[in-house]
Amino acid sequence: MAKPRSTTAAASIFLGPATCVVLIMLVSPLALLARYSLDKFDPSELMIEAVTSANYARFFTEAFYYQVMRTTIGVAALVTFLCLLLGLPLAYRLARTTSRWKSAWMLLVILPLFIGSTIRTVGWMILFAKSGMMDTLAATFFRSHVDLMYTPAAVVIGTLSVNLPFMVITLQSVFEGIDTRLEEAAQGLGATPGRAFWRVIWPLSLPGIGIAAILSFILGMNAYATPVLLGGPRFQMMAPLLFWEFNTNSNWPFSAALAFILMATTLLLTTLANSIIPLRYRA
Amino acid sequence: MSAYLQLDRLTKRYADQRAADAVSLEIDKGEMIVLLGPSGCGKTTTLRMIAGFVEATEGDIRLEGTSITQLPPHRREMGMVFQNYALFPHLTVAGNVAFGLEMRSMARAERSARVAEMLALVKLDRFADRLPRQLSGGQQQRVAIARALAIHPKVLLLDEPLSNLDAELRQDVAREIRLMQQASRLTTIMVTHDQQEAMAMADRLVVMRDGRVQQVGRQEDLYERPANAFVARFIGNSNLLTGTLDAGRRFCAEGRAAIDLAGLYAASGPATLAIRPERIVLSAATDGALAVGTVLLSSYMGAMVEHVVQLDAATQIIARAPSSGVAATTRFAAGARVGLTWPASCENLFDAADAPVPQMQKQLTSPDERITSHA
Repeated sequence: MAKPRSTTAAASIFLGPATCVVLIMLVSPLALLARYSLDKFDPSELMIEAVTSANYARFFTEAFYYQVMRTTIGVAALVTFLCLLLGLPLAYRLARTTSRWKSAWMLLVILPLFIGSTIRTVGWMILFAKSGMMDTLAATFFRSHVDLMYTPAAVVIGTLSVNLPFMVITLQSVFEGIDTRLEEAAQGLGATPGRAFWRVIWPLSLPGIGIAAILSFILGMNAYATPVLLGGPRFQMMAPLLFWEFNTNSNWPFSAALAFILMATTLLLTTLANSIIPLRYRA
Repeated sequence: MSAYLQLDRLTKRYADQRAADAVSLEIDKGEMIVLLGPSGCGKTTTLRMIAGFVEATEGDIRLEGTSITQLPPHRREMGMVFQNYALFPHLTVAGNVAFGLEMRSMARAERSARVAEMLALVKLDRFADRLPRQLSGGQQQRVAIARALAIHPKVLLLDEPLSNLDAELRQDVAREIRLMQQASRLTTIMVTHDQQEAMAMADRLVVMRDGRVQQVGRQEDLYERPANAFVARFIGNSNLLTGTLDAGRRFCAEGRAAIDLAGLYAASGPATLAIRPERIVLSAATDGALAVGTVLLSSYMGAMVEHVVQLDAATQIIARAPSSGVAATTRFAAGARVGLTWPASCENLFDAADAPVPQMQKQLTSPDERITSHA
């Protein structure tokens, strides 16, 4: 009897600090935010204590916000799709290579993460801007102009560059966890390498691919620096909009509501996506 | 008629290490070959080259006279059973067995008939809809065998098929595999490091070491006429004594014990003497014995009695005799002086280059006569 109690005590000692951190730094601000989102807003008096659903109603009744949410989901989904398209072969190759350069390749993939995403975005700006590098090169060699700055394409490319390393390292460990003997078994039974991948590796990695996609999707939904810097003032996504409401308009109740709507939407979509993965493949 | 499956100087080099070094082998149709050796001897590399998972650096593999060295694994039609079985965890037992048939675009009706046939063969018909993780190790292994056999492979490749099974299950499964293989006359190559397993299952054995083939032959050949001291030690037990062969009939062990050899040899010089423990006859009479020693230890093991005999300070010999009932079994006391004899046919000598030293025919005193006189 004594033993289980003492292990429980020991466990709670170790779990205690983490629980405290989560409670103080995550749960309580969220609760506070939830409370704010029900308050009223007045341009002169700012936040007024109340219990109203007006902030939420505003989001769902004004077409503009719906439009911004659609853009955000569109960008996040497109970036995730492109990430999978580019990341899958790369991650698979990295997981299966026996080259002595493997760790060097891995480092190359992770290297961009060493530079803050804002700095990297500034790099993209230098590339994309009018009379920036791409424009100058195009003018020199093709006598044409490339102006990607402040376009959706620029935002997608920028976000893609942020998400891809996360995608690749997640997928790489997923593939690494799958026994190479399974591919050999499939090939020995007459499957071409492509079919072996599709019939064996793909279904087995699906749960992991799902997690990688969700990671990329969440990062995309909450992207801030990239849409602000590469999308410009007229390209609206949720995170910049939220910050604008909070900072420029000082409308805390509405930005709190926006935060919850963004969170709920992301949660809903990822749960939906997860339920698409057949039950038997789930981890 | 050339052999069904032919390995011609098959070599695999990793950097400057030879995992397999000029492995040549001719295998007949329906034969069961066992590649045997300690870990790192190149047996698995050789098997994987035959399956196509490892590319040969040099050499050729020919199946029914046609080179398959350049064929990718999916076109070789080899049935491989992996050491860890490598069952597809997301497919049912039936799905696993059907996989190879689907790859061959076999019609659905024919496919399910073949799957049912294979599952009946390995007695798993009731488990068709289970997932591999719901099966025991032995059952998983039978699925792996059924999956490999379903495609009617030209050669069945078994990579340490028994190593993940319980000790008690191992012998049964070994026997089952052997019976199945003989019934279907399926050409089979098995890899193992367990010599008992190899002896029990093979038509012919291939002993390998450091990537090289040491000896190819039937159990009797390997046991009675090992090609070198390594094979003598690796297959069964051998007393291996290093020393000098003197004038063709005397052997002087390193510890200076003098041994009269049962056979007569043309060569002399440094040599290794190999004698099986169960071929040595001990007797209380030391006159006319080939060697004389002192009993250190005498153990009754049930089926046999084992004696450790000290010949000199550095040389010990193990002798085993079958026990034959309380009355007939001799157990020498520790410290007893005993004479050792053995027939010439059970004596193997290897020279400094580890090659067998041939015996000369016909001697004045036949060693076998000496044996009977002392028995």
